[in-house]
Amino acid sequence: MNDSSERRGTTGAVLTFLLVCASPALAQRPDLSGHWILNGGTTTFGEWIFTDEGRRRYDAYDFKTDDPSLRCIGASWTRVWLNPNVLVQITQADDHVRLRYEWMDLDRRIPLIQPGAGDPPRGSNPGHPALGRYAAWYDGDALVIETIDATDGYVSTMDKWAGLPQSRRMRTVERLTRAGDLLTIEITHVDPAMYRRPLVVTITYPRSKFELMEYNCSPDDAAVVAPR
Amino acid sequence: MHLTLLRAVPLVLASTVPLLAHHSVPVNFDQSREITIRGVITEIRWINPHSRFRLDVKQEDGSVLEWLVEMGAINTMQRAGFQTERFAVGDPVTIVGNPGRRDRVVLLRTAVLQDGTKLSP
Repeated sequence: MNDSSERRGTTGAVLTFLLVCASPALAQRPDLSGHWILNGGTTTFGEWIFTDEGRRRYDAYDFKTDDPSLRCIGASWTRVWLNPNVLVQITQADDHVRLRYEWMDLDRRIPLIQPGAGDPPRGSNPGHPALGRYAAWYDGDALVIETIDATDGYVSTMDKWAGLPQSRRMRTVERLTRAGDLLTIEITHVDPAMYRRPLVVTITYPRSKFELMEYNCSPDDAAVVAPR
Repeated sequence: MHLTLLRAVPLVLASTVPLLAHHSVPVNFDQSREITIRGVITEIRWINPHSRFRLDVKQEDGSVLEWLVEMGAINTMQRAGFQTERFAVGDPVTIVGNPGRRDRVVLLRTAVLQDGTKLSP
């Protein structure tokens, strides 16, 4: 190696060091980018203990009329994650993370913030009030997404968990971690109006080779249709 | 339009079928049973969240009842290579699937075309 190439190597190392020191989030954040799909993954619901109001809402749930997705509207982020067969694409930038859900064409641009900041900027999805307002930060190997200010909705309208309610008081924390080609989403729902203790749902998403497609949900198509 | 006789045949079926999208399959369909219906396609909608056929089904007394045949999202079926072009309005078809918890609704598991071809989404 000659002097010139040594200088270039030294300069490159210094620049890399400075970049890492100046951007700790860049240096530490997990790489979650890519396409992911629920199929082939697992879903686990922890125990839930209803309040009286939570029990009342759950018992009153009617799958033929109460599922917001019948109007192309998201019921909760957990419900969105629970949708099988469709993709989620994650891209990461210095100031935000973007999650594009094929289901209902939901595009979730999440500002990165310092946790505990007073009133940080938050993203939202107009037309989907039950999905609230969200912000995110990195915590070690996890991306943490906090959602507040959701309207009444349902944690799930799927399978045996259909009708589990959420209220306006719910705070949802999603922790996304990756191990190889498996993405794990642990979702903690803290909703003292509906549950006596936090409800934790864990969902895994294998990596997918497919690309996002447009969903183009129309309420006329999504509604429950009866034979004539 | 020629209509083919319907016979709904409940069968016990061990279910290992995964969830489909949108409204939950276990909530909307009885996956422990399987029925077979035969009729003529009167409408085809290749859409998200659920594609569907309408099917005219002739009863044993000669009357005709419409059935709704639900499927998964068109996005999913396209990725799976489901041959949507094999279906046309006016075609007779046999549908094997799970009965809905609503009246005259079935979730398509296998479609048997007039030439005997079996297609599953």
